[in-house]
Amino acid sequence: MSKIIGIDLGTTNSAVAVMEGGSPKVIPSAEGRNLIPSVVEPDKSLVGDVAKRQMVLNPQNTIYSVKRLMGRKMGDAEVKKTQGMVGYEIVAGKDDQARIKVKDKTYSPQEISAKILQKAKADAEAYLGEKVEKAVVTVPAYFNDAQRQATKQAGEIAGLTVERILNEPTAAALAYGLEKKKTETVAVYDLGGGTFDISILELGDNVYEVKATNGDTHLGGDDFDQRIIDHIAAEFKKDQGIDLKADKQALQRIKDAAEKAKVELSSSSETEINQPFITQSKDGQPLHLTMKLTRADLEKLVDELIDRTMGPVKDCLKDAKKEPKDIDVVILVGGQTRMPKIQQVVQDFFGKEPNKSVNPDEVVAVGAAVQAGVLMGDVTDVLLLDVTPLTLGIETLGGVMTPLIDRNTTVPTSKSQVFSTAADNQTSVEVNVLQGERPMAADNKSLGRFILDGIPPAPRGVPQVEVVFDIDANGILNVVARDKATNKEQKITIKGSTGLSDEEVEKITREAEKHAEEDKVKKEAVEAKNQADTLIFTAEKTLKDAKDKVKSQDKEEIEKKIKDLKDVLDKADKAELEAKTKDLSDALQKVGASLYQKPEEEKKSRSDESDRGSSTKKSGPGDKDKSGAQEGEVVEE
Amino acid sequence: MGKVKLENQLKRAVADYQNLKKRFDSEKLDYVKFANAVLLDKFLSVFDDLERAQIHLKDAGLNLVVTNFKNLLDSEGVAEIKVKGLAFDPTTMDCAELSAGPKDQVVKVIVKGYTLNGKVLRPARVKVGSGASKISDKKL
Repeated sequence: MSKIIGIDLGTTNSAVAVMEGGSPKVIPSAEGRNLIPSVVEPDKSLVGDVAKRQMVLNPQNTIYSVKRLMGRKMGDAEVKKTQGMVGYEIVAGKDDQARIKVKDKTYSPQEISAKILQKAKADAEAYLGEKVEKAVVTVPAYFNDAQRQATKQAGEIAGLTVERILNEPTAAALAYGLEKKKTETVAVYDLGGGTFDISILELGDNVYEVKATNGDTHLGGDDFDQRIIDHIAAEFKKDQGIDLKADKQALQRIKDAAEKAKVELSSSSETEINQPFITQSKDGQPLHLTMKLTRADLEKLVDELIDRTMGPVKDCLKDAKKEPKDIDVVILVGGQTRMPKIQQVVQDFFGKEPNKSVNPDEVVAVGAAVQAGVLMGDVTDVLLLDVTPLTLGIETLGGVMTPLIDRNTTVPTSKSQVFSTAADNQTSVEVNVLQGERPMAADNKSLGRFILDGIPPAPRGVPQVEVVFDIDANGILNVVARDKATNKEQKITIKGSTGLSDEEVEKITREAEKHAEEDKVKKEAVEAKNQADTLIFTAEKTLKDAKDKVKSQDKEEIEKKIKDLKDVLDKADKAELEAKTKDLSDALQKVGASLYQKPEEEKKSRSDESDRGSSTKKSGPGDKDKSGAQEGEVVEE
Repeated sequence: MGKVKLENQLKRAVADYQNLKKRFDSEKLDYVKFANAVLLDKFLSVFDDLERAQIHLKDAGLNLVVTNFKNLLDSEGVAEIKVKGLAFDPTTMDCAELSAGPKDQVVKVIVKGYTLNGKVLRPARVKVGSGASKISDKKL
């Protein structure tokens, strides 16, 4: 079965999304953006950004806002209003249907919309690498039968079977996964580029009912931009006496600056508009536009626009016979709802924080993809894979937590790593299974521990113990430790390693952040000590193996440095330990180098030993490149 | 849930994963080539300002700065889109204004356009001829 895509066919912009690996993904257009401007030049078959760029050149042939005409008759008030604002010609067709005349051809709104759907289809096919023949397309909740039928026809003209026409507010609710919850009353506040919609839905048992819908078809983000442009131009005129709006190039620059300022003021409280050399004074001197705009300024400018949305909100609630307190969930849709003031006004009215975590430009397309996924049988509980909420690992030398499976890894999964012993002739290791985000073992939760014994006696660092962590789809963790020499193994099964409440996970994560700095210091101290310890061992071994091949004065120097380091091993701070470790390491390297100058066969045997002894890395399958301290050691008994 | 259904879901999940891997590989190549696109686009607006300043100030030092900046963009694979005198092409240009001049030809570049490794980073913003002849400034 081929994929079904979800398409948000918008008035200003459209977007397309698809289910992938069980979660929705917005498909980027050929131009590399997630949105396709709903603009079409039918004569040259230009769609999207490309059509928008030639709009000024070709206003009679460039169709935008075609959604306002879908399934409508010439006599409709909306058609009359649209006629007054667009540059193309709207004529009466069969049965007084609204048609668009471009050159000597007439197009139905369906045909124009089909071009947008065709592009969405082509972009999806390029992205997925397969043919796409089916789609879920969204429409406003207030669309009547004729308008829905027209949308369906548009899909057919584009070569898509429209599997479902979905209401936009319902799509938004689906994007938030609300259909899985108990019965809820949802308010969807949708402020797009040119239209405002408010809808009240009731969800439950896979039934979505639109209780009421209201709005203003001529209010949107573009009006907000215009207010800022007017403000900038007015201020400049006050200061310099020049009307920037009369200069088309300057006006274009203010437009860009206004939009940028609007976006910036959603995340910061103040922004600076800097447009050097925007125009010239009457005596030919260059003039610059520099202006500060605060969030409060912006809010004052658009206050009336935000107010205008609240009338329809109240009417809609009344129609649905609901009070603000009856609303369980509020969802924000449309780019303009990124504005903090709008979020505040909505929150104050409904008395609860609105959902805004899904990108408001994409939320409708995402919901359409979710619905498409349901139709494909993609979205079921079976495919909801869990993740490990916290990092899982084991305790290694010096009480360090060595992670094996990082937090947020999707399960089922399995990871393995090879460790070694910390002391000579160590015949058993203890595996302490840990869960948490802190670098020191003691600060994390121990899920269980076991001992693997029967390891043949060998110098430290030689035995290879493979530790395997395996989490199945139910969150059950199996930890196995296996001695690679004897194949002897021990294991433990831990249930509910993923079963933590959100609060617990959050608390543990917060703790880790709080202690991050001191934990780092602690861990580094342990690592420095481990490194020093390893080097002492290596140095002693080198001296013993080399016997009289080391000059006596070198030997004395190394012995002295070993003693120095041993003396401070348990009491010195990290810096001193590191300094003394470096001293010893340098002296040892000098000896190592001189040993290499000995005869051939001797050189060979020395280098083997020296390799094993002084390297901080140990080879072994699955062994990661790690620092000397952690390397290869399971905690000593 | 039926076995067949589960099997289908498994197949789809595995297929999704394999496709994702393939796309990840191809996107990785693109990523290397276009990772800087957002940053470079932001630089371009400052570069525009520098060029505007140079038109007015005609300063030798500033000229060097502009040249250095240009060389930097060049070394990152950013190239100016040549549009002057050509026919309007919406894939690389954005028509901001109409003016007197040969029909559908670029009469003036308002803001230069650039490509990054062959892909349009920013279309050129241009003034396009309407076909009307230029009205003479000279009074009779």
